[in-house]
Amino acid sequence: MTKTIAIIIIFLIAIALGILVGPTRLDSEILQLRLSRVVLGIFAGGILAFCGCLLQGLFGNPLVEPYTLGSASGAALGASLGIFLFGAISPILAFLGSLGVGFFVYTIARIEGGLLRDRLILAGVVMSFLCSSLVMIIMVLGGRELYEILYLLMGYLGIIINATNRVMIIALIAISIGLVAFLYRYHRELDIISQGTETAAGLGIDIQKFSLVVFFSSALLVGLTVSIVGAIGFVGLIIPHVSKLLFGPKHIRNLGTSFLLGATFLLFADTLSRVITVYELPVGVVTSLVGVPFFIYLYKR
Amino acid sequence: MNALEARSIQFYYDKTQIIDNISMSLSRGEFLGIIGPNGAGKSTMLRLLCGILRPKQGEIQLFGKNLHEQSQRTIAQNIAFVPQETHFALNFSVEDVVLMGRYPYKRPFQPEDQKDHTAVEHAMNAANVEQFRNRPINSLSSGERQRVVIARALAQAPRILLLDEPTSHLDLHHQHTIMELLERLNNEGISIAVVHHDLNLASLYCKNLILIHAGKIYAEGKPAGLLNKKMVREVYGIEVTILSHPEKNVPQIFL
Repeated sequence: MTKTIAIIIIFLIAIALGILVGPTRLDSEILQLRLSRVVLGIFAGGILAFCGCLLQGLFGNPLVEPYTLGSASGAALGASLGIFLFGAISPILAFLGSLGVGFFVYTIARIEGGLLRDRLILAGVVMSFLCSSLVMIIMVLGGRELYEILYLLMGYLGIIINATNRVMIIALIAISIGLVAFLYRYHRELDIISQGTETAAGLGIDIQKFSLVVFFSSALLVGLTVSIVGAIGFVGLIIPHVSKLLFGPKHIRNLGTSFLLGATFLLFADTLSRVITVYELPVGVVTSLVGVPFFIYLYKR
Repeated sequence: MNALEARSIQFYYDKTQIIDNISMSLSRGEFLGIIGPNGAGKSTMLRLLCGILRPKQGEIQLFGKNLHEQSQRTIAQNIAFVPQETHFALNFSVEDVVLMGRYPYKRPFQPEDQKDHTAVEHAMNAANVEQFRNRPINSLSSGERQRVVIARALAQAPRILLLDEPTSHLDLHHQHTIMELLERLNNEGISIAVVHHDLNLASLYCKNLILIHAGKIYAEGKPAGLLNKKMVREVYGIEVTILSHPEKNVPQIFL
């Protein structure tokens, strides 16, 4: 209980810092910009960590997250294509990219009667490379949109919310939160499936249906998130581990605390990205700087 | 009516035939041993019986009703499956693991109630794991873990218990405790089918045996009639000595 209160307090501190810290003085215009960043940070960080928690549970692999599975890169490819074709973010293309790459990776790792869990990561990394090359082609062809796509690749919370994209962003956030609430119903299944798919099937879980629902929904969530803030890596990897260290293995707690911790982490990372250099860095740079050593630590363990 | 009845079951992966036209049944109150050499199809047969695998041909009946017309949840309320060895990727407490046995009775968002906790207490008591209740599962020895998995199966309040080589990695003490536990559960009315590759253990505890060889039923019957030198020669390809157990009066095989 005290731990829960502690992480809520830290979360509030992260919000406060996100609003107060920055290179310019706070006036009403800056306040509005910072508020929208904080909202996007909570939403994106929370969802990415939540998806990481879901996917690590589903696949029983501690290294799985939207980024290492390739679905974040797929979403970035879809979103870049949207910018190139329509000059605007395109959640549907991002979702299709995320889903397409996700399914491809899933198919590569699938064998009869199971899933090769190591191959999942390998396939994810390979597909990420492919997506990056395709994005490069789009950038070269696009020219003018180059800068926008660059930030999309690394993740950026500072997009300016205006009359044209406000409705869409609010809708996306609402859909995402609805999906998160819906997916919470699977906390028991996630606990059980960590003991193997046979045990899960023996206890009455319809593995195929459950995997499809979780996989499809997390691809949708990642696609929506990436289409707004870009492909931010490693939040989904680190946070579920931190959450399990703090709160134990049960998913009824971890899904919620992962969301909260992910939001907190991304807010801190965003604040840091604004003060670390004279120019704003994409927030994904900061999360990767923290995430890569963590990934190596997990892999070596 | 039998607890489980399989009729003309065929099962294959790609073109490799695993189960070739097996018909068998598990009557109520039975303690059945499924034996046979490695790769004979014993474990596959067990998975077919509890609905984890689906037969390519043939039908399985659970208390007279077609198994595959029932939901996996309903099946899990009747049949509990204990795999050979469970790997716990997450370090749940023993009590949490046993509580997972209540899954088939729970709807999403429905919290555990008194009935669930009673079932969990009963199961932990029967499998003698209450003293571990707050211990992390991975801090137990493999024998103790296997008892927890059996407790989880009992929390399902099943009428049928299917176990895949439950003693294969265990020392003498734990082999004994697990088999005694199964015998006790059987006396309380649970029908049990257990896959064994240890013929002597199967002979000591099972009332009836089914010997599967190359995907077919080679022989079935009481241990006394089934375990003989001719069978071991034909199925396992070795010569052995068979003597009667001095106290229990069942055949025991000596290499």
